[in-house]
Amino acid sequence: MKIVVCVSHVPDSAAKINIGADEKNIDKNGVSFILNPYDEFALEEALKIKDSIGADVVLVSVGGDEVKETIRKGLAMGADSGILLKTNAYRDSISTAKLIAEEIKLQGANLVFLGKQSIDGDNGVVGQLVAEILGFNSVSVAVSFNLNGDKIVAEREIEGGREVVETSLPAVITAQKGLNDPRYASLKGIMAAKKKVIDEKEVTVSEIGVELIKLKKPAQKQAGKILGKDSSAVPELVRLLKEEAKVI
Amino acid sequence: MIINSNKSQILDFLVDAANVKGDCDAVYFPKTAQEISEILIEANKKKTKVTIAGNGTGLTGGRVPQSGIVISMAKFNDFEIDESRKIAKVEAGVLLSEIKSKVEEKNLFYPPDPTENNCFLGGTIATNASGAKSFKYGPTRNFINSIEIVLPNGEIHKISRGEIFAVDGMLKIGDFQIKLPKIQMPKVKHAAGFYIKKDMDLIDLFIGSEGTLGIITEAEIRLIEKPENYFSAVLFFDDEVKSLEFVAEVREKSIRNRNFDDEINALAIEYFDFFALQFLKIEFPKIKNHHKAAVWVEQEINSANEEILTEKWLEIIEHFEADIENSWIATDAKTRREFQDFRHAVSWKISEYITRKNFRKVGTDTAVPNDKFVEFYNYSRSLVESQNIHFVAYGHFGNSHLHLNMLPENEVEFTKSKEIYKQICQKAVDFGGTISAEHGVGKLKREYFELMFSDEEIREMAKIKKLLDKNLILNFGNIFSERFFN
Ligand SMILES: Cc1cc2nc3c(=O)[nH]c(=O)nc-3n(C[C@H](O)[C@H](O)[C@H](O)COP(=O)(O)OP(=O)(O)OC[C@H]3O[C@@H](n4cnc5c(N)ncnc54)[C@H](O)[C@@H]3O)c2cc1C
Ligand SMILES: Cc1cc2nc3c(=O)[nH]c(=O)nc-3n(C[C@H](O)[C@H](O)[C@H](O)COP(=O)(O)OP(=O)(O)OC[C@H]3O[C@@H](n4cnc5c(N)ncnc54)[C@H](O)[C@@H]3O)c2cc1C
Repeated sequence: MKIVVCVSHVPDSAAKINIGADEKNIDKNGVSFILNPYDEFALEEALKIKDSIGADVVLVSVGGDEVKETIRKGLAMGADSGILLKTNAYRDSISTAKLIAEEIKLQGANLVFLGKQSIDGDNGVVGQLVAEILGFNSVSVAVSFNLNGDKIVAEREIEGGREVVETSLPAVITAQKGLNDPRYASLKGIMAAKKKVIDEKEVTVSEIGVELIKLKKPAQKQAGKILGKDSSAVPELVRLLKEEAKVI
Repeated sequence: MIINSNKSQILDFLVDAANVKGDCDAVYFPKTAQEISEILIEANKKKTKVTIAGNGTGLTGGRVPQSGIVISMAKFNDFEIDESRKIAKVEAGVLLSEIKSKVEEKNLFYPPDPTENNCFLGGTIATNASGAKSFKYGPTRNFINSIEIVLPNGEIHKISRGEIFAVDGMLKIGDFQIKLPKIQMPKVKHAAGFYIKKDMDLIDLFIGSEGTLGIITEAEIRLIEKPENYFSAVLFFDDEVKSLEFVAEVREKSIRNRNFDDEINALAIEYFDFFALQFLKIEFPKIKNHHKAAVWVEQEINSANEEILTEKWLEIIEHFEADIENSWIATDAKTRREFQDFRHAVSWKISEYITRKNFRKVGTDTAVPNDKFVEFYNYSRSLVESQNIHFVAYGHFGNSHLHLNMLPENEVEFTKSKEIYKQICQKAVDFGGTISAEHGVGKLKREYFELMFSDEEIREMAKIKKLLDKNLILNFGNIFSERFFN
């Protein structure tokens, strides 16, 4: 069985982000990059299947040369091989999804894991787009996953509870925090990763649906207000929540 | 200037992370050295005791007032980085976590890291804090180029490293002629009492003096280039003896290889014993039942030496039979941070435990010479075990520095723990070590400090305090018991 896991290369969640001079990119100086945290859950789920019933786990990532660093991390965690769909061109979610879907077809994989969202673009749609393009079943934002033959039982977090869904292969699953506890790379894994090959394929981005005009930092949060330290502050708090914040 | 004397609003200033408690009349929030100077002049007139508050993460009661007023450094927030000169001018109330992240944005790095980054720069200078990375980089002292300090009499001085040295056992600041005591500091990482050395630099007397000689308002810190990458691994061992042998081997190799980039050259060697692992298991379920100890090692690497170093680490790790399959290796900044959190969680959970049980912390801060360490460690553990007190042992083992924390369940055990604590301190001293390698003496560890130096020697140190602070108003009660001033 072949499983494809899509991984994106994202700025460290703890990094302070500044906008670059061209206003179309971030200033990468001093920013380290990590494997998208939701993709760690995606990869762990694939590795669990590999551990229990055996599978060939293939990483796919779209991006420039820098993305290889992230593919290596996935290999060190235990994936078998990696494919870099190489392009430095600007992409939107749909162009990324098309490139990924094309590769999945080539690989002949019928189970695909992605993160529920990439913490840089934050669109949270690539998985669903890939499923649509391929005509696969899809479970998004999964917090539990079970495969039995080609039957899938998965759970999604919904407002106030969990939704249990049943479907079957071929399928695209997008992973949410809580799905599992991703393993750390082991020393052997790191050594082995150095020997695994990353297949680099030059690709071209076809049409773009969303044009990036400009990046802007969100407005600075206003300083918090301390209304008091005991119960006497409660009436004022309630008033402000009602009238200013309009949340109650 | 804000002055707050509303008791219910200043409770945070009456306690620290060791759960030492105190009382005061008011907390002052000055913004400038000049304002501090005025407060001190007034306090001298009225003979009011003044206690300096950093961010309260100290572990010795140093910032906890017994009476009088508290000066909070929280409003000293200016911060300026000079990228080209690799320095920063930082006021005393800036959080260490903020310093770290701001300099890293500029691809620079400030090595001192006392595990807890939620402390003020001023607090770390006052205690000469150190941490995991001190194994390679040494304590805070090594990164302080200059300080601005307000002496207890209100005089404001700027002291730069390399300008004023001791001559014939005398140091001069303003009109004060300070006579240096003739004491020998232990040859280990050490933070108990004043830094005293022949021909010493004036600035070093103030760094680590726990606020007894003045209030630091600002410092120029030295930065280094941010390392390209790190080898960072939490290694688990099924055999405790092997884990300690591993520590000894990595320590020795690293000290020997300090100038070689392609050899094992750890910047940190942190240890967790079996009980520390048990203590952490709920939050870190990846710890296995068969793991008896863990060692967290880190080394700077770059793309040129990464491969060869990973192989060298693998070799030594295999040789000492770490559980390779289940050990953790960081692959990026996020995983590395998770290892830091893992390390921080031990210390943090202990502070939380003792606060919940409402005891003071009974945790050693002892360091001994490297060749005595294993003997010292085994002695300390058997002593606690023989008394049936629960404990957790961990520490900066690269520096042969042990934090053995007893976890008393009740008053009887608490009293017993304190007795054991004293015996462990005595043993450290007998071995030529120190009772405090990083947290300082504060109010909690004076009795043990007195095991290290003779009454005469301590009296000599106390004379320096009395000279600069003739009314004994500032941070009184830190380091010296009252009797040394009579
Ligand atoms: C600030 C910023 C910096 C960037 N820097 C770079 C860079 O240096 N180099 C570069 O090549 N791209 C870069 N990108 C593009 C980036 O790698 C992603 O492709 C893009 O952000 C995905 O966003 P999304 O919201 O469409 O994904 P979402 O729909 O939120 O992603 C959902 C899931 O789809 C998968 N996925 C998403 N993108 C990819 C991908 N590219 N490859 C494989 N799987 C993917 C992941 O599993 C992810 O969890 C950057 C984007 C931003 C916003
Ligand atoms: C979980 C945890 C882990 C820790 N691990 C370590 C560790 O590994 N290594 C280590 O060294 N420490 C460690 N500590 C102790 C602590 O973080 C340090 O002592 C810290 O340097 C104190 O900073 P602070 O701002 O919190 O100061 P406070 O606790 O407020 O004060 C500490 C002392 O410094 C004095 N002081 C504060 N500011 C000034 C100033 N501007 N001028 C003069 N005197 C001043 C105070 O009066 C007091 O005596 C740990 C603490 C915790 C809670």
